[in-house]
Amino acid sequence: MIELEQIGKRYVRPLPDGGTIDALANVSLTIARGEFVAITGTSGSGKSTLMNVLGLLDEPTGGRYAFEGQEVSRLTPAERARFRNKRIGFVFQAFHLLARTTALENVELPLVYSERASTEGLAQRALDAVGLSDRMSHRPGELSGGQQQRVAIARALVNEPDLILADEPTGNLDPQSASEVLRVLQQLNASGRTIVLVTHDPAVASWAQRIVRLEGGSIVGDRRSGPANPALQEAL
Amino acid sequence: MTTSRLVQQSIRSMRRYPLRTIVMMLGSVVGVAALTFVLSVGRGAQEIMLRTVRQILGDQAILIQAGGGTMMGGPRGGSSRLTLDDMEAVAREVPAIDAWDPQVQTFNSSVKRGSAAATVRVLGESERWSRVWQRGVSRGQDFDASAVTGMGRVALIGETVARSLFAGDDPIGGEVEIGSVPFRVVGVLDRFGVDLHGMDRDNEIVVPVSTMMRRVKNVDGIGGAKLVVKDGSREDDVAEQVRRVLRGRHALAPGQPDDFHMMTSTEIHQMESKIERVLLLYVPLVGAVALVVGGIVAAVLMLASVSERVGEIGLRAAVGASPDDIRRQFVLETAATIVLGGLAGIILGVIGVKLATQRMPINAPFSWSAVLIGLAAAAITGFASGVLPARRAAQLNPVDALR
Repeated sequence: MIELEQIGKRYVRPLPDGGTIDALANVSLTIARGEFVAITGTSGSGKSTLMNVLGLLDEPTGGRYAFEGQEVSRLTPAERARFRNKRIGFVFQAFHLLARTTALENVELPLVYSERASTEGLAQRALDAVGLSDRMSHRPGELSGGQQQRVAIARALVNEPDLILADEPTGNLDPQSASEVLRVLQQLNASGRTIVLVTHDPAVASWAQRIVRLEGGSIVGDRRSGPANPALQEAL
Repeated sequence: MTTSRLVQQSIRSMRRYPLRTIVMMLGSVVGVAALTFVLSVGRGAQEIMLRTVRQILGDQAILIQAGGGTMMGGPRGGSSRLTLDDMEAVAREVPAIDAWDPQVQTFNSSVKRGSAAATVRVLGESERWSRVWQRGVSRGQDFDASAVTGMGRVALIGETVARSLFAGDDPIGGEVEIGSVPFRVVGVLDRFGVDLHGMDRDNEIVVPVSTMMRRVKNVDGIGGAKLVVKDGSREDDVAEQVRRVLRGRHALAPGQPDDFHMMTSTEIHQMESKIERVLLLYVPLVGAVALVVGGIVAAVLMLASVSERVGEIGLRAAVGASPDDIRRQFVLETAATIVLGGLAGIILGVIGVKLATQRMPINAPFSWSAVLIGLAAAAITGFASGVLPARRAAQLNPVDALR
């Protein structure tokens, strides 16, 4: 589904330095539909940059990015926005829920920008999928961290995207809420969704079927762990 | 993004930040209220002013008042030396004068009939009063020249006086006491209503000027006079001739100020246009300034809101809002807030108009054009204030905004 070919992301340092930094260099990666991939690495390894490129939030400075065979690395900002809306769902470390807004309204947000004629019932169904159908009219302040992140997952799901990108989704959560959130992601994957999980934490990464390790902007490891590792999961 | 979803999002944002929304509205509430009020009341006030002036002066008349000073500053007390002889001399020496009527008045005379009493304005006038002041007698008859020369104790009373002293009885032929002087009622004055000053002009009694001077007030001078000019276009000319005659008779040296005051319709028109300028220019200007200041405040608040909501903007971008969607949302949010304030301003303005028409004899029909102008002004301000914050929001890079 995703084909990255020699992707590079080069930043020019501010003057007077004027030098360049390669946040990503020659990254080639293929992700098939239905995979659950973890991208790991220390901070500064380029995993966030890779996530932004994958999510079409940022443009690579070199290489080719094909999504379902469509070249997407040179779209305009408006085209990228439409593409994100239809094909990609995001889950962030800081949840990014709108304050003073109900869970249902938060989940509805991607539908606001959707081209769908009817969005009836989609948000309720998404909240149902993450087990929060009884919390629809609660505001973020009235929910636990784990529940807030599940609302964020429902929001990522609501427009039925091809790909869900989760950036350190457990970073702000206690271990119990973390495994609750990871279990939801795993269930979504089991029901056929493609998930890319970015994390620095090997224990979190162990929930995925495949772990891609980045270092200094390049891929240094790519292994399939097969089924989830129960011992590591317990360590959470 | 469809317009209805856009509007819904804007309303939700306004609800999420209620304090900011209210402060943003203030300027447009005040501005639009002032605009609506003035645009509605202004016309009515102007109309009644013109009507009153026409009632007092007609198209071609000169008013003379004893004592110097200006009319607007109030009469200047002291020795008033304007006499009936002065006015007769003026009428004799200035042929352009068509008719004239002297006036001697008291504002609060107590008038009695048996046990019934009233406080009324009493006017002493000549037999020419009806023609000069354009007001007649609705019942009974006017007094004639012989009543004036003979100091007749005859009176014409207004409808309010008739009601308070005679109740249901026919006042014609009845007797009233002004002070302690008995008068016979010979007629009832044409209904007039309330004038610009809020004075009930039906609470008046007209008696012969000679009787008023000798029997009621015991004075030698008159309070003033109205002169009707034959040719209205020569009014200022005629006024100058009248002034020369009066100054000559009062033996005023050159450089000495007039000891009487003259008012022509030219002067009235100047006064009127001054009031009109205040009403139709300055008050809307204040409204416009309030709107502009409110617009600037709204823009600043919205800019602060954009900085505060960077995360939200990044999120919206991530879930599919294009830069254009974000721009439109912030423009609409600002505009909707200000237009809502404008609506509140219109309601406030209409309430103001209602209060004003209750307290003043002003006719101010509900003005749709005032409402439309107020709303349009608010909408323009709103969209203008929204442009800058919206551009700032749309320019945010989603990656930076989400950090």
